[in-house]
Amino acid sequence: MAKNGAGAAEAVTREIIRGKLLATVDEMGIVLARASMSPVIYEVLDFACGILDADGQLIVQTNGITLFTGTFGEQLASIRKRHGATMKDGDVFMTNDPFEGGTHTCDIALIKPIYVGGRLEAYAIAVAHWVEVGGSVAGSISPDAREIYQEGVRFPGVRVCRDDKLQQDIVELIRINVRLPTMALGDLNAELAAVRIADMRLKEVFAKYGANVVHDTFSHILESSEKLSRAAVKALPDGRYRAEDWIDGDGITDERIKVCVEVAIAGDQITFDFTGSSAQRPGPINCAYGALLSSAKTIFKALVDPQAPSNDGWFRPVTITCPPGTVFTARPPAPTGWYYEGSAQASELVWKALAPLAPERFSAGSYMSLCGTYLGGRNPATGEMFVHIEPAVGGWGATDARDGTSALIATTDGDTYNYSVELMEAKYPLRVRRYALNTEGGAGAGRHRGGYGAIREFEMLGDDGFFYTGIGRSIEKPWGLNNGGEGSNNYLEWRSNGTRQRVSRVPYQAVRKGDRVAVVTGGGGGFGDPKTRPIEEVAADVRDGYLTPDQARQAYRVVVSADGAIDQRATAALRAGG
Amino acid sequence: MARLACDIGGTFTDLAFFDDASGALVVEKSLTTPRDLTRGIEDAIGLAGIKTAGISYFVHGGTTVINAITERKGVKTALITTKGFRDVLEIARGNRPDLYNLRFEKPTPFVPRYLRFEVRERIGPNGATIEPIVLADLDAIIARCKAEKVEAVAIQFLHSYAAPAHEQEAAAYVRERLPGVPVTASHEITREWREYERANTAVLNAYVQPIVLRYFDTLERSLRGRGIDGSLAVMQSNGGTTSFAWAKEHPITLVESGPSAGVNAAALIARLTSEPNVIYLDIGGTTAKCSLIEDGHIKVTTEYKLEWSRTNPGYPVKVPVVDIVEIGTGGGSIAWFDRSGALKVGPVSAGAEPGPACYGRGGTEPTVTDAKFLTGALDPDYFAGGRIKLDRVAAQKAMQKIADGLGCSVEEAAVAVIRVADADMINALKLVSIQRGHDPRDFVLVVGGGGGPMHGAALGRELGVRATIVPRYPGYFSAWGMLVTEPRRDFVQTALTRAGDMTIGRIRSLFDELVKEAEAYFRADEGLKPTDHRYVFGIDLRYLGQEHWVTVPMPTLEGASVEGILADFHAAHERAFSFKLDDTPVEFVNFRLTAMATIATPALTPLDEAGRSLKSAHKGTRKVDLGDDGRIEAAVYARDELPAGATLDGPAIIEEASSTTIVHPGQRVTVDKLGFLRIR
Repeated sequence: MAKNGAGAAEAVTREIIRGKLLATVDEMGIVLARASMSPVIYEVLDFACGILDADGQLIVQTNGITLFTGTFGEQLASIRKRHGATMKDGDVFMTNDPFEGGTHTCDIALIKPIYVGGRLEAYAIAVAHWVEVGGSVAGSISPDAREIYQEGVRFPGVRVCRDDKLQQDIVELIRINVRLPTMALGDLNAELAAVRIADMRLKEVFAKYGANVVHDTFSHILESSEKLSRAAVKALPDGRYRAEDWIDGDGITDERIKVCVEVAIAGDQITFDFTGSSAQRPGPINCAYGALLSSAKTIFKALVDPQAPSNDGWFRPVTITCPPGTVFTARPPAPTGWYYEGSAQASELVWKALAPLAPERFSAGSYMSLCGTYLGGRNPATGEMFVHIEPAVGGWGATDARDGTSALIATTDGDTYNYSVELMEAKYPLRVRRYALNTEGGAGAGRHRGGYGAIREFEMLGDDGFFYTGIGRSIEKPWGLNNGGEGSNNYLEWRSNGTRQRVSRVPYQAVRKGDRVAVVTGGGGGFGDPKTRPIEEVAADVRDGYLTPDQARQAYRVVVSADGAIDQRATAALRAGG
Repeated sequence: MARLACDIGGTFTDLAFFDDASGALVVEKSLTTPRDLTRGIEDAIGLAGIKTAGISYFVHGGTTVINAITERKGVKTALITTKGFRDVLEIARGNRPDLYNLRFEKPTPFVPRYLRFEVRERIGPNGATIEPIVLADLDAIIARCKAEKVEAVAIQFLHSYAAPAHEQEAAAYVRERLPGVPVTASHEITREWREYERANTAVLNAYVQPIVLRYFDTLERSLRGRGIDGSLAVMQSNGGTTSFAWAKEHPITLVESGPSAGVNAAALIARLTSEPNVIYLDIGGTTAKCSLIEDGHIKVTTEYKLEWSRTNPGYPVKVPVVDIVEIGTGGGSIAWFDRSGALKVGPVSAGAEPGPACYGRGGTEPTVTDAKFLTGALDPDYFAGGRIKLDRVAAQKAMQKIADGLGCSVEEAAVAVIRVADADMINALKLVSIQRGHDPRDFVLVVGGGGGPMHGAALGRELGVRATIVPRYPGYFSAWGMLVTEPRRDFVQTALTRAGDMTIGRIRSLFDELVKEAEAYFRADEGLKPTDHRYVFGIDLRYLGQEHWVTVPMPTLEGASVEGILADFHAAHERAFSFKLDDTPVEFVNFRLTAMATIATPALTPLDEAGRSLKSAHKGTRKVDLGDDGRIEAAVYARDELPAGATLDGPAIIEEASSTTIVHPGQRVTVDKLGFLRIR
């Protein structure tokens, strides 16, 4: 297609506008993180910001974690359904309802329609995890909640601003229903600042380039991504691909929960059908539909183009189906506090189904679960109560090109940092006795081996101590690829007074001063036949202490001494043995 | 008396020479010689034709340290840690910034697991010994290091920032038993907490130390051989200098040696022009770097990460580094199309060899410099003072690829490449200014580097700054900056204390300790008297429960009180984060001391007016395509002929040997008495 010079200039202008839109969502994120009072936001980056066009299609988004990859469109759709007819300039809407496109009650989304010259041109959205929205436990994520009512206040798309002014009655409603009102209202203001920045920047862009050029850019962003996405799907072989997996308990019982997906690829269309997954559960492991969309889209994005900025164009070839009332499509009043464990399972299902088709984009199964653990008690020095909350890093699966990555945060999180031992010990009556790679637990053997999990062992120095935890993949192991071996399990080991217990989902456990609580994460799955792993690489693993000589012999059929010296003859004989 | 500065960049080695007697400044460039950097310096000295005997002060900045790390040319290094923590270096922070990449690879640690060792010892967060160190554990480790021919050792124990005794004992024990193997204990580099960051910092210091030792020894021999018998200084990353001797022990503090000189020079421009707020932009061959100077002060942080990107967590280095945002768009950056057909510029660069296509040295890829040349911004016969004759045919041939992709003419393609490059730079400039809560209307833009003046006026206009300032010798800005930089060292001590338990006496004694260290340092290293020192005090504070802190600067300790510090903290927190929490307890975290020494630095002399006039400066006109401003006839001036006080209107092109300044229609340039161009 021949283009003229003017077309070339327009193409460049579109790229420049795209750059400005990306800078705008970045700026929203910076403003939000800077104004927030909550470490979950400014440390864990449990937030996302986006801009959608007037039709509700996501144009640009910035994420700190993956859990909000697919929620914005659904949330905006439910707001438009409720308020589309009466919406006007100066409105801002607030929603945290998992059953209206959200995730769990702690994630509060603010949506601001953006008007330019009296015309609705776009929507800005910011979502962030508030530390506290009320409910049965502080933090609003009760490990054994049975109904969403125990998980705090729900805001069903309420108009929190009119004429750009915060509605005082809603502010008071929040103030009286949450345990940390200063923090909650601080986060509300931080999110408000973020959507207002977007409003300001978009108005500048419309003023500089004109509405037509900006509209043209919006369509171009969506269409160019859609084109790449369809090409990527088309390159995959048509067919139906299934995967199934087990969720190891829901917080109330340890009963294993079957989940499954069928991926159907036909030309440039792809469908993820979760029909057949178990019914929703009494415990908070459930996801609602918005969270399911996010988990499937996260993996789809990994398939088609992991680094390109996300927008709805990428997801146009995708259909996601699942009957209502499953553990992935829970209906009210199901609790969804730990939805991120359920959605991690949904992501891994899609991943497991697609990995054999596009090994160059995927890795084998990972430790998957954030293994979120709460350690608390009373500080003997100050008499104050404390709670320390940590997600744990773990082992990721091997790929067709290299060994899996060790001690890395799970798919559901992202640019999330572990907590410095020195900082934590200065802050809480906890002493970390060991922070090490979990070589004892092992990782999936293979031509490329899985990455190792981690062991983080705490000594409780406080009084009135307790812990609670929600650990997945404690029974089912991370899967291997192409004959690679399985990885290993996650668990928490509690040692007290000479006893030793392994647990995974625990609503509340009192502990004594001196008790040891170790969060142990598993290794990822392996890729390819372990017997084809080069002998030198096995020997290097032995020298590095990742493997014992015994494991090298058993799993890899390599005879090597502890310092890495290879017995070539014995190895050849062993490997020839078939 | 004369002074000499050498800045070794990726492409060029820049030299600036100042003769105190005559006030003359000589600048020169030679090609950087990566295999033996000393040779590039010798080449530049030769080209400049300066007399080296009698040079009383030599200052040097460069890329030796950062290159050794990024090219993985360091030595075989071992790490000794507290028992239970040898994997901290590999676990790192566990973050995964490349969110959708299910094959994410962490940065590989610089010490493999088999060279990471553990020792029984434990110190608590308050510095108290929980378990004494078992020095005998080191014997087996030392034996292994010998057997493995380890060339450098790093030691990092938990909470050594609070009490370094165990690290000191272990370091002494190892040094005695491994002669010739440099040992770095983490507290010798930083007294800040965070075990992974401190371990990584110590490891990188050890990893490059033998290389830096050799390098400085060679350089010193070469300089002494040329009769340079004055003091030898090196530019650190914190915007100050130090001696060769100290740098050899703490090489990691040189990690951003070159860029920090430019930022420091921009701060000097801020003083000379009475413009205390500066956004500084340096456009080199492969990258553009931005930094912000507020109220005359450069921003220095200890949050630096080597090889960091949006998708890479990088390697944290906890030494004071000037706060710089760097993007992969420079003069040599190559234009290309991504998978979706969008035009992009950088980060791949044509570098020094072969360089942009128009250099005629075999480059075939279209670069920003080629684009500038094709729009008419550069004179083919006066590039680098006429040393490189620009090849139009080669530039056109390279740019044809972009023209084909866009379906337009080569000239239009060149304009498109510049628009994309400018947009990238604007986003970076906004990141250091608007996105950090600064209003560009309160700032001037100072541009440096060979490419800065070419883009500066357009960027300044879009950013909305008060003015764009092109200093003298923009192409030698870093080297000149080194000449005017003073010795500086930053000290920090973490001492977590709740405000209720803090007394002004404790604050004084903490700072007294740091001041004592500073005095000892300057005495030993620079032979300076305490009266020559200036100190800036700062305290990092935070609300209880927070992770991040705010640094409260303290111009003086005279009359300071805990209450006053807390009031300043609440106000500073509100400025930085838009809120304060009056009822929440406050914690003191880190105590910071910046120690600077006052030494004589050369003054910038006013322009010598002799023979200068606007008329003689006017060289003619040239057609130039300025994108949105159209293709227009611009007046061309020789900068060296422009007199102080001259005023001229855009469109205009102002040429000098090291750079070309573009002035757009509607803009006016004035030449101030020091010869700086001020574009509005």
